[in-house]
Amino acid sequence: MSLLTVTHLKKIYTTRLGGNSVEALRDVSFSVEQGEFVAIMGESGSGKTTLLNILASLDKPTSGTVMLEGRDFSKIKENDVAAFRRDNMGFVFQDFNLLDTFTLEDNIYLPLVLAGKSYREMNERLKPIAIELGITDILKKYPYEVSGGQKQRAAVARALIANPKIIFADEPTGNLDSKATDELLRLFASINRKGQTILMVTHSFKAASTANRVLFIKDGEVYHQLYRGDNTNEQMYQRITDTMTMLQSGGDSR
Amino acid sequence: MNVRLYPKLAVSSMKKNGRLYFPYILTCIGVVMMFYIIHSLSYSPLIRQMRGGSNVEVVLTLGKFVIAVFALIFLTYTNSFLVRRRNKEFGLYNVLGMGKRGIMHIIVWESLIVAVVGIVAGLVLGIAFSKFAELGLLNTIKADIDYRFTISPEAISFTLQIFTVIFFLLLIKSLIQVGRSNPLDLMRSENVGEKPPKANWLLAVLGVVILGVAYYMAVSIKSPLEAMTLFFVAVILVIIATYMMFCSASVVVCRVLQKNKRYYYKKNHFVSVSSMAYRMKRNGAGLASICILSTMVLVMLSSTTSLYIGVEDTLRSRYPMENQIEVNINRLEDLDESRLSLIRAEYEKVFTDHGIAPEKTLEYRYAYILGRANGNAIEPFSNRETGLMFTYETTREIFLISVEEYNMVMGTDYIVEPGQALIYPMGCEFSDSTISIGNLHLDVVGRTKKSMLSSSAMVSIVPVIMVVISDYEELVPLATMVDTHNEPILTLKWYYGYNIDVNEEKCAAIFNEQKSAINNTFLNTEMGFVYSASRAAAEREDFYSTFGGLFFLGIILSIVFIFAAVLIIYYKQISEGYEDQSRFDIMQKVGMTKEDIKKSINSQVLTVFFAPLLFAGLHLAFAFPLVWKILQLFMLQDLTLVIIVTIISFIIFGIFYALVYKATAHSYYRIVSGANAYLVND
Repeated sequence: MSLLTVTHLKKIYTTRLGGNSVEALRDVSFSVEQGEFVAIMGESGSGKTTLLNILASLDKPTSGTVMLEGRDFSKIKENDVAAFRRDNMGFVFQDFNLLDTFTLEDNIYLPLVLAGKSYREMNERLKPIAIELGITDILKKYPYEVSGGQKQRAAVARALIANPKIIFADEPTGNLDSKATDELLRLFASINRKGQTILMVTHSFKAASTANRVLFIKDGEVYHQLYRGDNTNEQMYQRITDTMTMLQSGGDSR
Repeated sequence: MNVRLYPKLAVSSMKKNGRLYFPYILTCIGVVMMFYIIHSLSYSPLIRQMRGGSNVEVVLTLGKFVIAVFALIFLTYTNSFLVRRRNKEFGLYNVLGMGKRGIMHIIVWESLIVAVVGIVAGLVLGIAFSKFAELGLLNTIKADIDYRFTISPEAISFTLQIFTVIFFLLLIKSLIQVGRSNPLDLMRSENVGEKPPKANWLLAVLGVVILGVAYYMAVSIKSPLEAMTLFFVAVILVIIATYMMFCSASVVVCRVLQKNKRYYYKKNHFVSVSSMAYRMKRNGAGLASICILSTMVLVMLSSTTSLYIGVEDTLRSRYPMENQIEVNINRLEDLDESRLSLIRAEYEKVFTDHGIAPEKTLEYRYAYILGRANGNAIEPFSNRETGLMFTYETTREIFLISVEEYNMVMGTDYIVEPGQALIYPMGCEFSDSTISIGNLHLDVVGRTKKSMLSSSAMVSIVPVIMVVISDYEELVPLATMVDTHNEPILTLKWYYGYNIDVNEEKCAAIFNEQKSAINNTFLNTEMGFVYSASRAAAEREDFYSTFGGLFFLGIILSIVFIFAAVLIIYYKQISEGYEDQSRFDIMQKVGMTKEDIKKSINSQVLTVFFAPLLFAGLHLAFAFPLVWKILQLFMLQDLTLVIIVTIISFIIFGIFYALVYKATAHSYYRIVSGANAYLVND
């Protein structure tokens, strides 16, 4: 059984006055296996973020189903959604979404505190993660005191600490310089090798080229997908570039 | 650039920021209105003509001054808040190519619009309501009602001048504020994370210490006179301490809580405590202002209401009878029935002439001496020698009354043998078993349950000891004492008062006849004496005009201050709402349920909101002894009344506060939940 199964997802936004409606997702189906590292690519306005919001149970589809380990999102009660999200998913965002009222450490603890874990347990869990992410020394600092790359590593730690089944990353390299981007992608690859499932939405070729599989979304549909196979990152990068070029030039006449 | 663009931009941006501007303009109108009303009242011919009208005028002038100063401070505060919130908008104009001059043009137009609307609407409403206020005031001070409607041109022109100046100062301040800032930076600044507040232990501890000192001062003050002077010191200390407490001590408390890992890392505390530290840093000053305004309202309301409700009591204790006379007797041997009956006869002759008898009479004699206490010995001195050089701790006023007359007036049956005394100390301790007043030595055999009827003389600002003696014969050793001018130190008095069942006019006429009869008969005789005559009815008008005026002013100022407090609360909620939007958005993404968020918001908002009320209550409680002392200076005697009025004031204020909280919390929720749309464009 796939870890995450998405079938015939459709999302229509209606403007407030009820006049125009915009179809953000037309018909999206795919599945993610345990231990995969999947990237979803697409142009601005292709529906990437809408898709991620639905996968993260932050938004509801107009029709279609999302299942995590066979559990249908639409069957989860409204009150349990947040707990479900907390227990099963980790998030990494483009703008880090760290709370400036907390130290990095406290930011990382946030999901666990919400889950009612004790301080000792949280601390035990954090130690290995902090070492792996290289943030042990800056845990006591506040977000405004550290660099973008460090913030994003703290955000990754926050995503990892609850042992989620899947990590959703929304444009995680969008606000990082190239050095920090490289580091973060290396990090993603490394935690993925240890068995962590990752689903990343991006329009960076470089970011996508580190994934095992790349899904291309266009006009609200999965248009194409690439498997890494035995390709190196560079080969993968080339194939992604080709696909995107095709998508942008020839795609319209499909 | 098109000249008409600026007023257009000004109007449209004020409309767009209606949530911020509407309450501000409303406040301007309210303040102008209140100022006009008070000012026109102080010019009101009706009030000027009435007896005691000058008292009311003094009180109103004081009120006018307070409102003008307050308006300047408060409008400055809200105005700078407005300008700050609009930096982003100004930044945008700047980016789009409008220079600082242009932005200043807009500000000038906006200020002009606010000023014109505020002053014109305020004056119109003020004129409309001034008659109501006048009727209210006349009613409060129990003066004759007159329904003629008057408009006071002086008041209009003065209000216009004062507020033109105030609005002009505000404009200058906004222009400087914008001129100094770099709108481009400010446009970006909202996205920059703010430094977490540092716990400033020094200020926090200092705040607690200063508050402790102020509280101690308020509680430990013994003399009403001291209370009057130290009141202002205490008020200033409390204000300083409140600001320190809210700005620093609150952050320190949050930091201490954060250090306690078992407490801090709990779902219910984690978010609240950490964001509270931020909130307090940003809003500490606003909260402290709310707290102080609330305290002012509470103190003002409770004290002026107590005075007003207590007027009759005060009158009765000061003037037990409708008409009364107090005669100074020079020699002890004149304090004798054979002499006093001569004076009484003059009175009774007037009654007989009019063919009526008094309903009730009250008469008694007493002796009075001022002294310096040293243990159980009181060394008499003449008040001519010392002037007003009292030292409160040691000065005592001694009232000596014979047991026979005490029993008669108070309806008791005490027995006091020669050489013995019953005492009743007020405002001081006396625990010895003997008392020496000069060379009069008495055994203290007990205490009376009550003081003797509080005649005007008994209302004192220094401690009093009432001494009940067997007979006035006991006073011989004191009566012989003289001061450096060879005048006797002991004062002897005879009090005679009565109630009479006739109308007020007749009552006054009889009283005046009696006064002139006494003058004619005794003034230039060997018994030639000094007397003071007073009528409760006449005093009543004075009392009502003073206390009623104060009460009225208390209510008006309370309304103005409450207005201000509400506005600060409202702005605080709104600005916090905008700041918390993104924060709660993140928390939701990380796995906080809407319930959790609501709970967390509730606990934070509640704490932040009701902390000022709590502290206002605390301030009020500690200020109470001080306020009570000052009220005593106004001859208010009923402690229970003051306590009850204070508690009721607090309850009413608390309910009102809670209502304001509910209303503003609603707009806060609306802002916060507005950001919970999960839509973000790719």
